[in-house]
Amino acid sequence: MKNIDSAKSGFLRRSVSTLLLVPFLLAVLYPFLWMVFGIFKTNHEFFQPLRIWPMKPLNGEYWMKLADTFFPNELSMRNIHELVIGKWVPFWDVLLNSMLSSFGQAIGAVALSAMTGYAFARLKFHWKNIYFVIVLALILVPRQLFAVPLFSWLNTLGLNDSIFGIILPGVITGLGVIYFTQVFRKIPVEYSQVARTCGASEFRVFLTLLSLIWPAILSYGMIHFVLAWHEHLLPMLVLSTESQQTLPIALAKLYDVSQRTPQGVQMAASTFSLIPTALLFALCHRKFKSSLSDMLVH
Amino acid sequence: MESRAQPVIKATGGVGWAPFIFLFPFLFFLSLFWVLPLLGGVKMSLESNGLGAVEFVGFKNYYALANDERYFKSICNSLIYTLASVVLIVPMSLWLAHLLQSTFRRLRPMLTFGLLLPALTPPSVLATLFLMVFHGREGLLNQLFIIPIGLAPINWLKDPNFILLGLVLQTVWRWTGFMTFFIMAGMEGIPKAYYEAAKLATSSRWDHFIHITLPQLRSVLIFISIYLLVDGFSLFSGAFILLGGSGGTADAGLLTISYVFQKTRFFEYGSAAAISVSLLPLMLLSLYTIILLRRRYI
Repeated sequence: MKNIDSAKSGFLRRSVSTLLLVPFLLAVLYPFLWMVFGIFKTNHEFFQPLRIWPMKPLNGEYWMKLADTFFPNELSMRNIHELVIGKWVPFWDVLLNSMLSSFGQAIGAVALSAMTGYAFARLKFHWKNIYFVIVLALILVPRQLFAVPLFSWLNTLGLNDSIFGIILPGVITGLGVIYFTQVFRKIPVEYSQVARTCGASEFRVFLTLLSLIWPAILSYGMIHFVLAWHEHLLPMLVLSTESQQTLPIALAKLYDVSQRTPQGVQMAASTFSLIPTALLFALCHRKFKSSLSDMLVH
Repeated sequence: MESRAQPVIKATGGVGWAPFIFLFPFLFFLSLFWVLPLLGGVKMSLESNGLGAVEFVGFKNYYALANDERYFKSICNSLIYTLASVVLIVPMSLWLAHLLQSTFRRLRPMLTFGLLLPALTPPSVLATLFLMVFHGREGLLNQLFIIPIGLAPINWLKDPNFILLGLVLQTVWRWTGFMTFFIMAGMEGIPKAYYEAAKLATSSRWDHFIHITLPQLRSVLIFISIYLLVDGFSLFSGAFILLGGSGGTADAGLLTISYVFQKTRFFEYGSAAAISVSLLPLMLLSLYTIILLRRRYI
């Protein structure tokens, strides 16, 4: 009897929690739905004023009007077509640049941070504390703050207007080092001791441990990919040729009012810019969460 | 970090050159793309403005900053913006994480992903979508909430009283879901046995939350707060799209990075670098706080 009772109250509790979440979800998702429907709207439809007040929500006309401004009148592919053929920005070039630079940064950051994290967690060396403080400082001083001197330094190196000018500075990350330090600490010391007793070199031990932490590698790579995908200031300073630019800059250009880009094209570009990161996350968010859970507590 | 003395055993590794081979790539990139630009920034801040031949001017740029009202305004705005976002996001994501934990198991991944979506979206896209919600009169916020309760429609992005609030709400919208995800990962890592033990003492969920969940989540919460603080200070893209790189009416939305960017637009590199360098003491102070926190709580 008691069991059934608690199951019932459990169901009630779960329903109430779900209901409480609905308004949040609506607030978060409404603009996204609006964006997707915006792809198919003409400028005239897009700027239709939303004047639903002072009509009452009980009125059927209210809902009609709301639906009318929300949904497109027809599914016209014109806006997508204009974006894809590169009428406003060289879309495919820009997408490819963004992909290359984000993947490059993610792979580089994972490699560097994993090596450094391994050294912090498992090796002994002088001034470890000082190095660690430097890593913390790296987190605290955002790259954006010193974008201008970095930009002029990249010019000196001859990396201006090159994708490497974005990738190479993007591989150092304090967050990654701390993350991998924690990850390597979680692995029992005995594993590496066994490997060492068998005569493996330090680098061999490291490579062996890497195969154990692949969920962590995936998780950090994903986070870094997303952050790199969003980077705006440095690419804007460094990349000047249009076909070299990355997505956020192309988007900013589309949004610029003086360009008179149709709203539908802007919305199509926005939607496409969201797909890679969303897909990546949807595919591996379970692995990501469990590897975070292992690490975050203690 | 690992400051306690360890007995010297060969098996713990890190003898000879190994640590430096592991650290070298990171230190190489760190000095090339972080330390040098930082020093370059310090040097730049001591030089005159303009594009052509620059000359050494000593602390002139800093004296100019001391009399620059917009500089103090931008620092003040950034501080308010950053603190407000932390204060709003952390409790809200705690609550949302709790709600998500107590919804139906099958719905959970979908709901979480929905809340996460804004964090995966490039900030420039978010800003554009937000613009629609925050539009002068026809915006959703005005039509659904402000006008129906009998207030005059708020011109969110033009009225100096509301610009900063708009930026804060945008950050809340962007990061709350992501932080919820982190907190959920942290919650899943708490051993169930703790709760079962606590049930013997008290059945109050609130007590469980205060005495088990919150202390167990402290490293997650500290991590989130640091992340938000750094991100708040380096916000660029969102404000750039919403306010077109300006500070908005009466500079009410002028953030530090936007101000640095404005300076570079007029090629006032010396002043721009001086602003960046002047923030370093603030960063060092927070670095010191984090080190203290780590000693005491983590």
